[in-house]
Amino acid sequence: MGKRAQSILLVFAAGTAAWVLLMLHSVLIPFVPVPQYLDEIAPVLPLWLLVAFGAYSLASIGYALVTFGDCPEAYMSLLKEINEAKTDLKRRGVQID
Amino acid sequence: MAPKGQHKYSVLLPTYNERENLPIITWMLVKAFKDNELDFEIIIIDDASPDGTLEIAKQLQAAFGADRIVLRPRAGKLGLGTAYIHGIEHATGDYVFIMDADMSHHPKFIPDFIKKQKEGNFDVVTGTRYALGGGVHGWDLRRKLTSRVANFLADTLLTPGVSDLTGSFRLYKKPVLEAMIRATKSKGYVFQMEMMVRARQMNFTIGEVPITFVDRVFGESKLGAAEIVGYLKGLITLAMDI
Repeated sequence: MGKRAQSILLVFAAGTAAWVLLMLHSVLIPFVPVPQYLDEIAPVLPLWLLVAFGAYSLASIGYALVTFGDCPEAYMSLLKEINEAKTDLKRRGVQID
Repeated sequence: MAPKGQHKYSVLLPTYNERENLPIITWMLVKAFKDNELDFEIIIIDDASPDGTLEIAKQLQAAFGADRIVLRPRAGKLGLGTAYIHGIEHATGDYVFIMDADMSHHPKFIPDFIKKQKEGNFDVVTGTRYALGGGVHGWDLRRKLTSRVANFLADTLLTPGVSDLTGSFRLYKKPVLEAMIRATKSKGYVFQMEMMVRARQMNFTIGEVPITFVDRVFGESKLGAAEIVGYLKGLITLAMDI
């Protein structure tokens, strides 16, 4: 496994550990005060991250698709050049099918 | 005609059944180099094409000269990486162009590559279809979507910092290309992608120029389920390896 796979695994493991700690803070770290709202959002945090990443992916692919550059003029000029090339190549003794 | 720069550019053209395309791409290459007064050679590496590509290549050599058209045929289909190694073994240029022989890459962009290379003394200059001024012709929505998803996945998993990872119209300093081919393990679709990733790892500098891409005029370009699966497998292998 390469360095990148290792660091992705490390980040994933650290995130999971932090989430478990947050979910079970009243048992694991009862002496640390945790605000109420964290208790409320903690259970849906992984799902939220997944949906956020999905939304980012879709938006980014969608934008790239909409802005995809076409180049019909490149095609037209290529066709013209192909004809020019064929004429000149025949003159030079190259067999053209 | 005396070339104005002291540099010489070797173009590597691996071919397999390109009997129709080869003479025209060669003609356009010769024109691009001569119009810009550049010193060059075109190295044709044909993998024993059954359609007689080599025979056409010999006619091209007779027409344009053995100093310009160099033939380095091989006994069979042996892969892209080894084709490039085989080609550069006898390349006399200090810079090497790599492109497809099917005319999807147009030689008219060669001066842009060279200008870009000189601007930043880049080790590699890569053509991008996805920058302003670039583009693709001949793809339907499905093909565009596939390309965008493929590029997004590669970009997210590999963060190479190059906008067009799977493009294969590139200019290299010759020793840089040799070093990168030695470091690259994958074959097929992932080969060009891995080259860019390795270039970043080895701290080579990369410049980008916009290019247009016209999908094969002659012959068919295929993209089926097998190609997609092959790409995904290669991508994951590469992501695990870096």
